Amino acid sequence: MHPFSILTVGIFVAGYTTARWDLVTRLYELAIFAWDHDVFTRAVKGFAGVSIIFLAIVYPVSRIASREIVLHPRTGAGGISAREQLKRRGNGLMRIFWPSDAPSSPNPGVLVGWRNSDLDVLVVAILQDTRSVENAIRVGNLFRSSPYPIHRILERCGKSSLQVLGSVNPVVAPTTFNPASITCYTSPRSRFPHLFCPDTKEVMVQVILFDRPHPTRMQYISLAPISLALGDKADKSGKGFPPLDGVEAAEEREWERKQALVEKLKQHTVVRHSRAQKELLLPVIVDQINCSYELNALLQSNIGLIGTRSRRALSVGEHIVESASNLWDLILAWLWYIATEYIWPLQSRLFVFALIAHRAAGEVLLRILDWRLFPGHAALKDVSATAQQVDIRLQQFCYWPIQYLTLRKRKQTWQSITNSHPEYIRFYNSLWLVANDVIIGIALGSYIIENATFVAAQVDKILTAYTIQGLQATIIWLMDWPAGLKLNTELATFLGDLFLWVIDYWAGCMAMLRPYLPGIIHFIGFSSFAGATMPISLFSDLVSLLTLHIYSFYVAAARIYNWQLTIIISLFHLFRGKKRNVLRNRIDSCDYDLDQLLLGTILFTLLFFLLPTVFVFYACFAVARMVVIGIKAGLDTALACLNHFPLFALMLRFKDSRRLPGGIMFELRDVGNEKFPTVEQREGSAPTSFIHLKSVPLPLRAMLNEYFQLGNRISKHYVSPGVILCLITGRFVPPIHRKNLYSLQYSMLPKQRVGIYELWARVTEKDAKVGDGAYDLGLVNGGFGGNGYVGGGSGNDGYGHRRKGSGNGVGRVRVGRG
Amino acid sequence: MPPPPSALRITRPTPTTISFTVSTRAPLETISARVLHYLSLALRVVIASAILFLLWTKWELLYPSVEGGGVPKWLVSSWPGKIATLMAKGVMTRYLVPLAGGVLWLCARRGYTEESLLVLRGLGIQTTSSSSTYLSTNSTRFIPTTSIQDIFIHEAFKMFEVRFYLAIVVEGEQDVVVVFPSLLPSLTILEEVWRGARSCLYEPKT
Repeated sequence: MHPFSILTVGIFVAGYTTARWDLVTRLYELAIFAWDHDVFTRAVKGFAGVSIIFLAIVYPVSRIASREIVLHPRTGAGGISAREQLKRRGNGLMRIFWPSDAPSSPNPGVLVGWRNSDLDVLVVAILQDTRSVENAIRVGNLFRSSPYPIHRILERCGKSSLQVLGSVNPVVAPTTFNPASITCYTSPRSRFPHLFCPDTKEVMVQVILFDRPHPTRMQYISLAPISLALGDKADKSGKGFPPLDGVEAAEEREWERKQALVEKLKQHTVVRHSRAQKELLLPVIVDQINCSYELNALLQSNIGLIGTRSRRALSVGEHIVESASNLWDLILAWLWYIATEYIWPLQSRLFVFALIAHRAAGEVLLRILDWRLFPGHAALKDVSATAQQVDIRLQQFCYWPIQYLTLRKRKQTWQSITNSHPEYIRFYNSLWLVANDVIIGIALGSYIIENATFVAAQVDKILTAYTIQGLQATIIWLMDWPAGLKLNTELATFLGDLFLWVIDYWAGCMAMLRPYLPGIIHFIGFSSFAGATMPISLFSDLVSLLTLHIYSFYVAAARIYNWQLTIIISLFHLFRGKKRNVLRNRIDSCDYDLDQLLLGTILFTLLFFLLPTVFVFYACFAVARMVVIGIKAGLDTALACLNHFPLFALMLRFKDSRRLPGGIMFELRDVGNEKFPTVEQREGSAPTSFIHLKSVPLPLRAMLNEYFQLGNRISKHYVSPGVILCLITGRFVPPIHRKNLYSLQYSMLPKQRVGIYELWARVTEKDAKVGDGAYDLGLVNGGFGGNGYVGGGSGNDGYGHRRKGSGNGVGRVRVGRG
Repeated sequence: MPPPPSALRITRPTPTTISFTVSTRAPLETISARVLHYLSLALRVVIASAILFLLWTKWELLYPSVEGGGVPKWLVSSWPGKIATLMAKGVMTRYLVPLAGGVLWLCARRGYTEESLLVLRGLGIQTTSSSSTYLSTNSTRFIPTTSIQDIFIHEAFKMFEVRFYLAIVVEGEQDVVVVFPSLLPSLTILEEVWRGARSCLYEPKT
């Protein structure tokens, strides 16, 4: 109680007693009178008697009753008719999910599945044994000899256990519709069941047929398309690197604008509907559909066991057969013991050490590749294609053990648990790409090594022909009135001589390099045994090194051209009697003196007439530069294809498209009631819609989404009006940042690689898991009883897995006894 | 350009399941319409196979295969084979191949557009658009009810006209999903669909 109200009540009581003091004295006298006449002792006796009766009779009875309720729960509505329930609930929509491979024979059976709410059921299995299914489910007989703990799969499916939902094709036709125990009729003519439900204007029926995905074939359905890229990065991957260029800034602005619009639209939503239970259950239902195949298989395998009596004692012949098979099992077990205890641990230890050593070496290399001279500067891998390629490979090697461990865990539980399927596709995709890469690389490398001198000669020839002689010829042509353009001879000669002189010097350098070229080609050939990507990236770097002079010519010519253009523009302002005000960023009018005007005009005329000469040289080098960029872009595309192409996913898409779910779709089916001839009440049946739930395979567009994004980004960067303006005015075209270009290649790798210590921990944990696997195999062999479990349980030395492992063992023992 | 004439077809097996289909094709209800439809399909198949056969013949003429391969003898000696050989000899490759490609593309083209909206209470909304050719599948998009924020009719500029459209706002997405995106039917149809979808999708308030 609030202190203030306590105070108020206190004041009131005190005031009342003082005001009515005579009443208080009367009460006091009454109490003394009652005490004298034994009123209090009699009251205490009565209270004690009632308490004894309560403790002795009522409390045990209530305990027994509650226990009985737990043991024998009343299914159904508890005395309230179905119609009454529906009335209380209002308009009802009965929803039934029905597997498409359910038997459609007219035999009677029992429906087993999940009841997600009163009017929402999902059928997992139709069991032909109608007698004691309900009891068997409760006791757990139907889950006997399940390969993995049953609770894992049930937890995934909304934590509710399987129930008997009703019956199919019962011998005795029901009279009323009871949602707690539905009745369905199947007919060989249709895959859809017919629900017995007389039309009472209160209930409508949705029958949804689903195709069960096959979990051991790794099929599954999902609401969202499967993501081939690793989702641990922000959705705008590859962004946020310091040199944000204009394209990215524009994208960012657009994103923010749209976000603001989304917020605005939220406020425009007038009616906000609360989420109904059925709508929220959709993800759970998807999981249940994914799990239904394995559960159905388990139930069907156990249905023969229920109702049978316990095993009789073995006959003598059976004893002999069993002991003979046990002897064989014993020998096998002994061999297995030697293999697991001595050979396997040694090998795995050695392998783990090799793995960790390799990881440590990789870490050192990765650190070197990622080292920056100053923070914010480009690292080695941002500059060189080779360094980047090595970085990608090393990161893949670092990630593979982790991926492998994740995939091993997948094997140790129900196949229906589909969390790691995208990881599986990524893992095998990268393995396949690396294998492909190595195979192509070996072919390429052996060719290069065998013909090293020839290749070197060809490379030298091409380089000389195009980057030296071709350039020289072009410059000489430009110096001599090209294509009839009458350029300024003196300036053209000056510029041409300048460039020719530098090219001569460069040619001298190349001549010094020439003897080493076969060696370099040999090296490239050897490097290609590590994959075809290595020679390609090395070649890309070689191209950028050997065309360094073109790059510097381009920069120089662009600089000169740009200066001249700027000067001409400002002189043009002077010519018009204006000038540019940099403080206000506008053009002001200005009174120039006569001599200023005269000099400016003369200079303007001079520079204007010299502009074509400079422009011709600039255009020449800009085109050469663009060609080099194009060659490098082609090589980079080849690298991207070899490193990232979703080969495995494409193969899966054609082999079994249900392994790559891209969402779900519903198809409205027109199934007339006349297909169910056995039902007498078919005329008066409640309105029913028949819907087929299908899985949509991932579209090719989504599979190659990363490539489309990359193409989009490149085209936005290079084929934009800004870049063309830069080219025309001679400003430097900023090359697209490698980080942006290669966000594609890193999309299948985690952002933060796992550290060496963590890898060590997880790999040694893998050892424990291998032990687990061994005792699982022992279980399958069926040779040992509880001993196998005990051995397996104590053999664990992993990190938090011991508890789980022994828990499994205990669970299985219990199930086995049951 | 006036919008293509489109008709609305509603399938309503129960009040909680409605399918709205807008199509530029008349429904195949009469027998003559159905026969015409199947005849046109058969004609397309015949033309496409003839074109493929012509291309095969041309290939054989250009690169004759060894004995046992290539076009079977009986096919060459029959009258379609003779016509194909004549045409393949008469037309140059540089004209034949693009022409054949164009005819094949015309054969595979679907002559109509059909877009539909399926509303399922308790599950969600599904939009379907027919593909432009018979070779590719329809594109569907299912939106669970829990992620539907709103459904509304709005208007927008398209070229030089103002068109109404029905849009679904999906929570957590920056773009609205336009229903019937390529047909953009008239306002009366949209209103009917909008009312039907809203009444079907949500449970009535008691």
